[in-house]
Amino acid sequence: MKRYDLIVIGAGPAGLSAAIEAAKCGMKPVVFDENAKPGGQLFKQIHKFFGSKEHRAKIRGFKIGDDLLKEAEEYGVEVVLNATVIGLYPEKEVTVKIGDEVKHFKGDAILAATGASENMVTFKGWTKPGVIGAGAAQTMMNLHHVMPGQRVLMLGTGNVGLVVSYQLLQAGCEVAALVDAAPRVGGYGVHASKVSRCGVPFYLSHTIMEAEGDEYVTGVTIAEVDDKFQFIPGTEKHFDVDTICVAVGLSPMSQLLAQAGCKMLDTPGGYIPECDEFGQTSIDGIFAAGDVSSIEEASSAMIEGRIAGVSIAAAAGYLTEEERKEQCGALESALGSLRKGMFAPENRGKILKETEEGIEISTNLLAKGYVAEDEITRYPGFVKKAGVHPVMECTQNIPCNPCQDACPKGCITIGENITSLPVVDVEKDCIGCGMCVASCSGQAIFLIDEEYEEGYASVTMPYEFLPLPEKGDTGTALDRSGKEVCLAEVVSVKSAKAFDHTNLLTIKVPKDMADKARFFQR
Amino acid sequence: MGRIAEHPILGKAPEKDTVTFIFDGKEMEGKEGEPIAAALKAAGVMVHRYTKKKHEPRGIFCAIGRCTDCVMIVDGQPNVRTCITPLKEGMKVQTQYGVTAKEEGKGAGL
Amino acid sequence: MISVDDKLKEIGKYIPQPDDDMLVCRCEEVTKGEIRQAVHAGMFTIEEIRRFLRCGMGLCQGQTCGKLVKGIVARELKVSPAELEPAVSRAPMRPMEMEILGRDGGDK
Repeated sequence: MKRYDLIVIGAGPAGLSAAIEAAKCGMKPVVFDENAKPGGQLFKQIHKFFGSKEHRAKIRGFKIGDDLLKEAEEYGVEVVLNATVIGLYPEKEVTVKIGDEVKHFKGDAILAATGASENMVTFKGWTKPGVIGAGAAQTMMNLHHVMPGQRVLMLGTGNVGLVVSYQLLQAGCEVAALVDAAPRVGGYGVHASKVSRCGVPFYLSHTIMEAEGDEYVTGVTIAEVDDKFQFIPGTEKHFDVDTICVAVGLSPMSQLLAQAGCKMLDTPGGYIPECDEFGQTSIDGIFAAGDVSSIEEASSAMIEGRIAGVSIAAAAGYLTEEERKEQCGALESALGSLRKGMFAPENRGKILKETEEGIEISTNLLAKGYVAEDEITRYPGFVKKAGVHPVMECTQNIPCNPCQDACPKGCITIGENITSLPVVDVEKDCIGCGMCVASCSGQAIFLIDEEYEEGYASVTMPYEFLPLPEKGDTGTALDRSGKEVCLAEVVSVKSAKAFDHTNLLTIKVPKDMADKARFFQR
Repeated sequence: MGRIAEHPILGKAPEKDTVTFIFDGKEMEGKEGEPIAAALKAAGVMVHRYTKKKHEPRGIFCAIGRCTDCVMIVDGQPNVRTCITPLKEGMKVQTQYGVTAKEEGKGAGL
Repeated sequence: MISVDDKLKEIGKYIPQPDDDMLVCRCEEVTKGEIRQAVHAGMFTIEEIRRFLRCGMGLCQGQTCGKLVKGIVARELKVSPAELEPAVSRAPMRPMEMEILGRDGGDK
């Protein structure tokens, strides 16, 4: 039987990161993946990631995937594709289906980085063709360049539901509504806001009653639910859609670890292995990293993978205890900062009333998907001054700070604490370069100039849709809720390599619309 | 449905050769190497199979080879996951009824 | 975890619900009503229900319905899903042809 220093199961962000770290230390790891291509779900992530520089913030997921593959190649990580691990045994042996054969391998260490699977909810007609997972929609549009549907209803307002809704709009699909049985939007407010201002209505405390259609989905009926999640008669709403996307959370795919006999924990977040801080399970030499050990963002999975890789190399004698401590220490602090803020694991399920700064949370954002006009003024990113200046509609404490480095004039401060709300310094002179607008992964920064022309203001917004409007185009300005508020004229369209496909669209609107207009529609 | 010719982030769809395949006796076109399911989706085909017990239609659900709802009969072999099986020139793809290709089996309790 | 003694637990009569015909296990086409009835017939563990109804034993191996089935059984037993032992994980973890599995000679 062939033996390896380290066998990694799953070539996603966690698995590849672990293998890279182990290989850097001189180990010869192998990575088995059942798919035809490596990278796990990273290549479907076309949005800019959150975090800070060390987390590769403001870089799009698929670019991070590309870099990870390059790094794996550089360090000689062996990745075996179309190789399905079908069994994991406590003797650190795996059985792998490769081609028409089952092969057995032994590893000095084994890392399970098998990721997660999508949760589902049942409703009448949920098995009909046209009801798909949100991941399936991402796969179809972002990997295979095929539209998942013409008109889509999204169930679930967690980050997956919000991000995929936006991606559907980018792919040219219409999103009829975003629906969630919970009374509050589950994902980042900035993700919700960018969908909302495109005119997609949010229905919180609503869920699907029925997917309609004989052979496949032709429509859907949703209805409001009470606090016991029972339908309230008379609240039904119908939408003509051809596709229903379900994004109601993920569950760790921990079956292999359970099979091996690792001690498992049944948590609200899923059935997970009990791990120590380095990712080692209850079985010596069997590790877990990434979503299989707890559902988080891909950025966290990559760091967890690296910690496991370093720990495995140290345990095998490739690193001294001192080297391990030094490397793990840096990684753990990076991971720690990603786990801060309102969406930190410790805050799951909690209802927060105010931000870390003591500012009242926007209730409209949680209930409708956008910050109300009378709420936005209380945040430190919202300022008024003469001349062009940034207005930052970032109202929740999330671990993200590329905006403060983006501004060459120092107008924006987040400070030491990565989750602090950005503060705009009105004393500093904004030059209107728009670097902050393009750097914001949440697309929450606008440049406003209330003195653009006599009686007119200009609003510069991030714009990631096709066809790109041109200077001179006229259309309608939409407010944060997606409602048409006034006529608008495009006065500038800027695209630059440094913006990485986030175009800066500047529209001219009547002066009193400067605080309202947030999107442009031809 | 249809294809996304140009995407604001991903740019133009990569150029791939067009291939012809047979879906339930009809000639159809798709891109070489894309999943069979993607070609069917682009062509507007929603139903991949009818279930064994209740004879209900099913189509793409997870699109990454896990749920097995999109299985069809490909070149005579049943239970092929079309979402992860690359399309090739001349492939014969058939709607699956239970585990067979025979439409007359529908309702006969396969 | 559910023990043998719990089998004596009184969970009340099976009362049909309007959505009993809802499919839960997509692969083996098992409905919510069938699962609820199985619990009322005395099957209090996921393992028993799985063997009896085959839910979670189809091509996808319970990837989609595992959590749903657990939720339904827990509700019938009036316990939290975490109190129910999940179905046993066994190799092969993915569907594969018997022909290939049968040729597996083990450690050669």
